[in-house]
Amino acid sequence: MKKAFVLALAVLATSVVAASAQGSQTASARSLASFNCSKTITLPFVTPITGGAGFLGAEQMSWAKYAVKTLAPGLKLKVKLVGGDTPVEQGPAPAQTLAQKYIGTPSVLAVLGPSTSGAVAASTKAYASAKIAHISPSATRTTLTKTVGGTFDGSNAFFRDVPGDYIQGPSDANFMVNSLHVKKVVIMDFQEPYSLGLASAVDGTLKAKGVSTIRLSAPNTTTDYSAYVTKVPSDADIVFFPTQKPGDAQTFAQQLIEQGKKAKVFGGDGSNNAAEFKQPGSYVSNFAPDITGIPADAKIIAGWKKDNPGKAVGSFGPPSYGAVQIALTAISRACKAGGGSTTRQAVFRTFKKVSIKNWILGGSFKWSTKSNDPLNAKFYIFQIQSNGSYKLVG
Amino acid sequence: MSDSTPHGFHSTGAEGPAIGQDEWVARHADVRFLPARFAVVERRLRGVPWWAWLTLFVAVFCLFPIVEPSGYVRQVAFQTVLYMLLALGLNVVVGWGGLLDLGYVAFYGIGAYAYALLDSPHYGIHLPTLVSVPLIVLIGALAGLVLGLPSWRLTGDYLAIVTLFFLQLFQTVTTNWQNVTGGPFGILNIDPFGLPGGHKLQPEHGGVFAVSYLYVALAFFVVVFVALRLLNNSRTGRAWRSLREDPLAAEAMGMPVNWLKLLAFSCGAAVAALTGSMYAALFGNVFPLSFYFVTLITVYTMVILGGSGNQAGVVLGALIISPLLEVLRDADKSRVLFFVALVGGLVVLGRRNRRIAVVAGATLVFGFVLHAIARMIDGRWVAGHPGAGSFARFVEHWVIAPEQPARWIAPAAYVGVIGAALLCTVLRGIVRDVALVPTIYLGAFVWENVMLAKPEPARYIVLGVILIVLMVIRPNGLLGERRVEIV
Amino acid sequence: MDQFIQLTVDGLTLGSVYALIALGYTLVYGVLKLLNFAHGDVFMVGTFAGFGVLQALGGPATPKVPIWLVITLVTLAAMAVCAALGVVIERFAYRPLRDAPRIAPLISALGVSFFLANSMQLLFGATPRNYDLFQYHGGSLYLRGLHIGGVTVPLLRIITIVAAFVLMVILWFLVNKTRTGKAMRATSFDREAAAMMGIDIDRVIVFTFILGSALAGAAGVMFSLRVPTNVSIGFIAGLKGFIAAVIGGIGSIPGAMAGGLILGFLESYIQGYVHGAHIPDGTQWSDLYVFSVLIALMLFRHQGLFGRPDIRKV
Repeated sequence: MKKAFVLALAVLATSVVAASAQGSQTASARSLASFNCSKTITLPFVTPITGGAGFLGAEQMSWAKYAVKTLAPGLKLKVKLVGGDTPVEQGPAPAQTLAQKYIGTPSVLAVLGPSTSGAVAASTKAYASAKIAHISPSATRTTLTKTVGGTFDGSNAFFRDVPGDYIQGPSDANFMVNSLHVKKVVIMDFQEPYSLGLASAVDGTLKAKGVSTIRLSAPNTTTDYSAYVTKVPSDADIVFFPTQKPGDAQTFAQQLIEQGKKAKVFGGDGSNNAAEFKQPGSYVSNFAPDITGIPADAKIIAGWKKDNPGKAVGSFGPPSYGAVQIALTAISRACKAGGGSTTRQAVFRTFKKVSIKNWILGGSFKWSTKSNDPLNAKFYIFQIQSNGSYKLVG
Repeated sequence: MSDSTPHGFHSTGAEGPAIGQDEWVARHADVRFLPARFAVVERRLRGVPWWAWLTLFVAVFCLFPIVEPSGYVRQVAFQTVLYMLLALGLNVVVGWGGLLDLGYVAFYGIGAYAYALLDSPHYGIHLPTLVSVPLIVLIGALAGLVLGLPSWRLTGDYLAIVTLFFLQLFQTVTTNWQNVTGGPFGILNIDPFGLPGGHKLQPEHGGVFAVSYLYVALAFFVVVFVALRLLNNSRTGRAWRSLREDPLAAEAMGMPVNWLKLLAFSCGAAVAALTGSMYAALFGNVFPLSFYFVTLITVYTMVILGGSGNQAGVVLGALIISPLLEVLRDADKSRVLFFVALVGGLVVLGRRNRRIAVVAGATLVFGFVLHAIARMIDGRWVAGHPGAGSFARFVEHWVIAPEQPARWIAPAAYVGVIGAALLCTVLRGIVRDVALVPTIYLGAFVWENVMLAKPEPARYIVLGVILIVLMVIRPNGLLGERRVEIV
Repeated sequence: MDQFIQLTVDGLTLGSVYALIALGYTLVYGVLKLLNFAHGDVFMVGTFAGFGVLQALGGPATPKVPIWLVITLVTLAAMAVCAALGVVIERFAYRPLRDAPRIAPLISALGVSFFLANSMQLLFGATPRNYDLFQYHGGSLYLRGLHIGGVTVPLLRIITIVAAFVLMVILWFLVNKTRTGKAMRATSFDREAAAMMGIDIDRVIVFTFILGSALAGAAGVMFSLRVPTNVSIGFIAGLKGFIAAVIGGIGSIPGAMAGGLILGFLESYIQGYVHGAHIPDGTQWSDLYVFSVLIALMLFRHQGLFGRPDIRKV
């Protein structure tokens, strides 16, 4: 008897799922299906809104929201921003499910994110097959914008508006050698894609210049670094610390002092947060100068601050604004070219043609011809002063 | 499935036991699920054999993708089948073997990684599917054996700790052994399943999930279901049952208790490994974090909800929880779900206690009144969170949804509603009914303002609450049988 | 030699925190025979409660009262919050299951653990919280301390070790020299017999949970004095506490203390010294080594160092 109940419930359950369906177009036709640009466009942002890197997603979403609010009317588009949460604790797998969800939504013409390199690797093939361009403000792993052979062939649907590790790594390493004259560097990684990629890039460049390097690896969940500090040699000059949690960089710097080591902490763009990482003498590298110093951005910053009272301008937010700008500009141009309607494929093709004059990160934005990265991107190195402020040194 | 009896539904107006029949047997045999009017129907339905039900279920599931071409829904359906398989496997270990295996998803991961290593560009090996899948089932069984061996003499609690640590260890190994497992970068570009003859099943067309994988998964599901059922109805199954009911007596009767436990462990691990290979083949990537604590709790909730020990039950559990988790990602659907669940809960409670209808009505009125008062005091107090759809607009008039709530409101309301709900379980009678009204309203407030704002942790909070409430109210789940532990 | 001293101090500090967590597990297991999976998350809530009180007292850089009072108040507040939480959990998630099959409260505990971790994330977000006591007087808590050999043992670590020791002494006193402690020990020996002797089992169990959870709260504060905390540490902390309790013998109080210290030392030395070309590196693979030790222990002496072997009466 129970079995009947079971079956009935099963049928009910499956029909509930069916009822919550989204769209009924067949697969391949959708990338060429025409979309009327006067209807509301859904712009999903795949980023870790909750979980260990939730501060990243929250910051990026707030800037994306502001960008949509201020830019969409000017481009004559009706845009709805939705967040797709990919908490880092669950790895890249949720990104694949979300990719399916957005591919199946006809009002999606382009996607923001995923924000983490692993999630991009997991979902970019699906987006490429569906001809949906996706642009990330923070996934910096080198191989993502270059195909497996190392060359770029135009079929890659992934774009990013910040430079990759292949720029940050050597740039940081060169600074260490040329300006800091290091002889011995300890390089840490946290057993996840961002830090591993960056650590390898820095390691390679330093070794090529004859600096002796020591590699240490800590689980991503580590909070007490005492054991690792013990292994830092007393004559090491720098500890390269590519963490995504600025608080950990602070802890490490403090524990270095506690154990009397002279090495200074050098953080990547993930540790860029003046409120949490403020140990004087440490270094931070970032893909943008502090945008509060760019006069053209003053209006944007003021507007964002009004919408987000009490929050500080971080380093992950402005590239998200830029990503929205690029995406909406591409959509708007494709719509104009298509006479009021466009397809996903058309938007994809238009992406690479977009250039922005007053780029929020300074100067102007153009795509590199060799990959889906910004042209001539560079990294900026800061040193933390005794009052906790970041001073540009390289 | 014939070993479980519905709980709490007693026959009404039975004529009494037949001559020669034990009264207890008669009482239980006469249990009816539906009201007496449908007795004939019920008897006919009971006569239908289990494999007919299985065929019907699979047929409905097969028709489903034809009705619904959205790639997303199909992928969720595929994930549901994977979860059903995992639940079946866990059912063997927990339900039939009575072992609390907290490292179960490590076997899932082992299967996935094994397939990834055997069928991807990582090592350049591309074994045909017909070779790799049975090999992986074997690997899974061996892994289960290896993990089960140290627990040879361990009782339930120690086993739980050791298996939990094994899960942590699996995580450490896959994350750090980069040369073999790819580390946190995972293994990418895994081959999809191939049919004999060389044709490969494409996982997706133009980005959209391919239906063929769903059918393959269903086929595996049927095979595993039938195999496990046959196993359960054999000597081994009976031995497991006796082991579960009273391990000491079983041992005294000469059963090889430890071997039986090991067998249960192995079987569960083998099923999990098989499921892992399917996961790897379809998604094309494996990463360490996909096989961790969250997945473990999800599968456990499915098994417990459905009723551990009952195959149909755990399948039902998977069928409920998996789509539920997906639906809860979306704020608008979650809102609908919450109110459906609320009304459903009140109806179930109301069958025993007519006053619940009054409570429901009072809550409705209370809500509108409070909303109106709030709006009069300050318009911004009710201006926030416009959802999409007509239902959301209706709810907007009932629930207070401030535009920019002060930071202390969320924690205070959350703790408040938990405290109020716990209090209601302690109170009785009219006091409880009165207390229920603000509690329900506060619950709706918290759901709307706090939980819908962050669907990800909200999903898992729902899972945790389901686990706790189930254990307290109905530990045998929906279809399981009530166990009495002889101390 | 310096490295050895440093590692020993590290191990002692780590071990003190582990011991406090393990004590909570052992106490509850003793009276209820229940592995309280939610204990790690109670620990996590303690760290957040302490953070809140620290902010209320003016924060690490500008405290409104002397620093020793700040730390004491923070610890007491965390202990109180955790004790209350423990009582609520026991009353609603474990007490209804007291006569259910053993697996039921375990599953319920899993549910509570999941619920707590995600609730904290829902309410307070995933950003780490840093007590940041380095800001007090330019890091004096980190830089001043005992000098042993070439190594300075910072004040902060000394506070942790001493506080844990004091708490353990208080616990020993409570369990061995008071009537309620005696009732606790009786209940853990044989619950039914204790009930028949007139001991109010419910009150004893509530008292046990208060003690255990308070210790978890204290452990939380001790832990986060030096490192940032976030909502996800509950799982790992709970696991480590488990291992410590099992190593020492679950159900035995001196066992938990010893087990915690042993685990702390083990981890510290493995991470510091195990480093070779052909063996997995200690810092990355310390989990593997600890697991091997645990398995070996389970195989040869599964009741732990101080535990009683299981004797089942038929």
